[in-house]
Amino acid sequence: MRSLLPWLRLIFRSPGRLATGAILLLLTLLSGIGLLALSGWFITETALVGALLIAGVHATINLYTPGGGIRFFAVARTVTRYAERVYNHDTVLRLLTTIRVVLFSQLSRSGRSHRHDLTGAQWLSRLTMDVDALDTLYLRLIAPAGLALLVTVLMLLVSAIFLNVKSALWLALPLLAAFLLATVGTYLRTRHITRRQSDRTEQLRSGIIEHLEGIAELTAAGRTGKHAARLLRQAFESNSDQARADSRTGWQLALSNMLISLSAVAALWLGLELFQKDLVSGPVMVMVPIAFLGLAEIYGMLPDAFGRLGATEASAGRLNNDISIAEPPRQVATPGLPGELSLFVSDLGIRYQDLPPLMTHFSLQVKRGEHLGIIGHSGSGKSSLADTLAGLIEPFHGSLAKQEACYLTQKTVLFDDTLRANLLLGNPSATDTELWRVLDTVEMADRFIAEADQLDTWLGSAGSRLSGGEARRIALARVLLSPAPLLLLDEPFTGVDAVTRDRISTRLNSCFEGRTVIGFGHSIDALPVVDRVIHLVP
Amino acid sequence: MGTSESPSPGPTPREVRQWLKALAGNSQRWINAAVGAGVTAGVATVVQMVLLARIVHLGVIEEASLSDLTYLFTGVVAAIIARAIAQGLQTRFAARSSEQVRKDVRRQLSAHWHHLGPLEIGQSSAGELAREWIDHVEALHGYFARFLPQMMLSVIIPLIILFVVFSLDWLAAIFLLLSAPLIPLFMALVGMGAENLNQQHFETVSRLSGQFLDKVRGITTLQLFGQTEHATSLIQSRSDRYRRITMKTLKVAFLSSAVLEFFSSVAIAVVAMYIGFGLLGYITYGPSVELTLYSGLLILLLAPEFFQPLRTLSQHYHDRAAALGAGSELLTRLQSGPSPSRRAPGLQDMPKDVISLRHVKLSYGQERSVFNDLSLEIRKGACVALSGPSGSGKSSLLHLIAGFARADSGDVAVFGAEPGSFPFGWLGQRGFLVQGSWADNIRLTTPDASDIAIENAIRQVGLGALIDNRPNGIHSQVSEDGQGLSGGQARRLSLARLFVSEYPLILLDEPTAGLDADSELHVLDALHKLTESGRTLVFSTHHQALLALADRILLVTDGEVRDA
Repeated sequence: MRSLLPWLRLIFRSPGRLATGAILLLLTLLSGIGLLALSGWFITETALVGALLIAGVHATINLYTPGGGIRFFAVARTVTRYAERVYNHDTVLRLLTTIRVVLFSQLSRSGRSHRHDLTGAQWLSRLTMDVDALDTLYLRLIAPAGLALLVTVLMLLVSAIFLNVKSALWLALPLLAAFLLATVGTYLRTRHITRRQSDRTEQLRSGIIEHLEGIAELTAAGRTGKHAARLLRQAFESNSDQARADSRTGWQLALSNMLISLSAVAALWLGLELFQKDLVSGPVMVMVPIAFLGLAEIYGMLPDAFGRLGATEASAGRLNNDISIAEPPRQVATPGLPGELSLFVSDLGIRYQDLPPLMTHFSLQVKRGEHLGIIGHSGSGKSSLADTLAGLIEPFHGSLAKQEACYLTQKTVLFDDTLRANLLLGNPSATDTELWRVLDTVEMADRFIAEADQLDTWLGSAGSRLSGGEARRIALARVLLSPAPLLLLDEPFTGVDAVTRDRISTRLNSCFEGRTVIGFGHSIDALPVVDRVIHLVP
Repeated sequence: MGTSESPSPGPTPREVRQWLKALAGNSQRWINAAVGAGVTAGVATVVQMVLLARIVHLGVIEEASLSDLTYLFTGVVAAIIARAIAQGLQTRFAARSSEQVRKDVRRQLSAHWHHLGPLEIGQSSAGELAREWIDHVEALHGYFARFLPQMMLSVIIPLIILFVVFSLDWLAAIFLLLSAPLIPLFMALVGMGAENLNQQHFETVSRLSGQFLDKVRGITTLQLFGQTEHATSLIQSRSDRYRRITMKTLKVAFLSSAVLEFFSSVAIAVVAMYIGFGLLGYITYGPSVELTLYSGLLILLLAPEFFQPLRTLSQHYHDRAAALGAGSELLTRLQSGPSPSRRAPGLQDMPKDVISLRHVKLSYGQERSVFNDLSLEIRKGACVALSGPSGSGKSSLLHLIAGFARADSGDVAVFGAEPGSFPFGWLGQRGFLVQGSWADNIRLTTPDASDIAIENAIRQVGLGALIDNRPNGIHSQVSEDGQGLSGGQARRLSLARLFVSEYPLILLDEPTAGLDADSELHVLDALHKLTESGRTLVFSTHHQALLALADRILLVTDGEVRDA
């Protein structure tokens, strides 16, 4: 339950809206109950008066008040139902926005080492399924549960007033039991299953993606069928779990419905007792049980919502985990940077969490305007070093001071947006001329001059309309646009063929003039022209 | 490069419905059982209401004593219990109704992926395919578990109630009968308006989710450029715009539920007024004079039950929409790809000790022809390098031998058999690893490999150091530090799988491209060992050291293959 707390706080940020929505829902419920209860009262009254009239006894009945009441409830029911649905769904969508914005700003505040390395599909399910589970929490669970209690108390008050207090206390018993069965009971009986199922689906998703990524190797080895069969079995187990949780929820619903009906029968029995002692009139005696039957509507919403609470908790837990910002205590001194240096590193240590250090006692000084190459094979920690120098990873030891830097990560990341928007990230105030010039430097200007939309060409999902090498060159161009005096380039030419690479390398020389550049690569060929080279050895 | 495919017309809603119907097949008994239980619950409800009205009538009008009514009360309690059991059973049956369906569809999808082969699969994103396999298939559940049974119940139960009401007072029955068919009519009218809006809505939603996802995935980049605040405000404004568009749809969509609510409320009000006036003796027409408190109250109690199944159906309507949407995408996927490949005739007379290509023609689409008339023989046990400029067809040749691509015409036979008909080794440019231990990863392709063989294989590719400092050796997790393996290490892990196998044929696509010097050395060494074990190796490469390893070099240029 604790995992839900931060999200509940978020949900209750706008109590006014929530209260209005709850009141509309309450009015809908009460109109429905009122319509039936008043109709029952009216029919009994008319039956009694009618019997008197037939017997020739003079009797009168006020038809206007109950008639008006019935018409009022019928219309109110329709109007409040519509208003409630529109208003509450607007609330849900507002919550969705809030949750997304909070989620995003939390994520952007956390360091990369704390953000788990999730695949795109995992993110998609986080941002759709898990967020959805939370944004409907109020409408599906909190509001109905609160209103069920409120309406129950109202009903008991009605029975205390019209029948007597003792009857009301007796009637409270089955209703309380129905409430507990529908809420806590359902939650306790399903939470283990749904939580496990929710985690299983996540595992299954990773499993499927691995299966697809390895399908060439699996096909060659003749193992696709066997591997798929394992995934099918996992999916089937997960579905069986879901069926079990569904059945349990169904039984809880049936039981709580049963108790509500029984409470109505009890109300009828108690009412008849009082009627026969002339302590209550016939129409009122009929009205109370009918009103009790109306409780089934709001109680019916509860088991389903509470049956999913286990999964909702799991969703909240996963999201909490993603945005946890447990920054380790800073042990890094940040000394002032001597005037002639661009980067000063002394006695640096890098490691991931509690694993053995990747690098210790690393020291480096880079002069302003110097072009340095850092060479190391895979696993030598060069990307981790680049991440640390760029400030993405906090070193566990040593000190680091640098000029403002711009960093080309090893992974090419382009956004589903226009070429212009992608480039402007590097320098939001760059002019079109500057954009074209930098595109020319990476030999991509000709490619986009030919496009109809030129700078406004849409780069498609994750830049998919570009080849790997082209996307890399756009990412490089974006970094070149940055006014930062220090550039960190990790494998700047991945996917770019040798001939093009050499040509771009030459053009870069003029671009690099007056700036400090540190290039990271697996060999000297993979880097622009540099003045000095450091080899990393593990 | 993404190819701009012309959007293929997806299956029509009718085809999707027929597909779903065909899927129901052996799940029909669960659906029928759910309907049966639902009908039982409906009948129990009617009995409960009959007895309640009878009790009220006897108690109020006839002034019967409570002890006289005890047997009726017992009957009501029994009916209520029966209804609870029937309701419980209904959800239980419904919960199981689509287990088989989902299993069948997933099996179909997996089989289809297998049929499409690695090349076609590589064209779609793994995330999207995984979503289809998991989420779209799950979306079918509500249709079978909730919508289908409820559709039948929303016909049967109102009819039962109508029959009871008709026997009590035919005029009241006509009120109900008149309002009931109007409801689906109005809902259909409102629904049609909502349909168009819906289309637009779904596009907006998917575009918006896509953009949000895109921003989250690139969050490190946004951080590096100091642009996160700008992106946050962008998410805020786009999400807000999405809300306004969605609300426009919902305002129309909710009209249909308002119509339903309106008719059921008004019908109850009208029935109540009619009964009241009838009981007072104000209406002297037709059956009204016969009305009693019993019949009047029973009609009132049954009126909401008459509309309840329709109400439930409208709640489950989104299950239908979700299933049709998901079903349409699933069906599109299942209908995609090449038609079943033609059988290669006359492979029997192909020699058993060569890989042989005869008059092979291969083209991608209409324009791009790769090979026009290619004939080639590769001796068993040879080590062959394919060289040539990129795009000349080296990979295509490998794909033909692997059976991943089928020749348009001509014959391809590998050791006298159809390509891909026996296990062989494949090494692509991307290493393939799963979450699990080193041993799990190696056993993916060779399940019966011994621990010793696995450890040996890992050492052969120079990854020994990675397992040496782990306490569990080959049984420790591959990506324990959450960082995974580097690209070069992952490819070496894939290479290690080849060592534990006894594949006679091993195909490798640019095995050293993009590797650092260290990994390259290990891969070369490993390949050298593989050739010495007498297996047939075919690989594409530009790499000088690899060319030196081969005992035959084939130059692939412009659809021609010749010895260098």
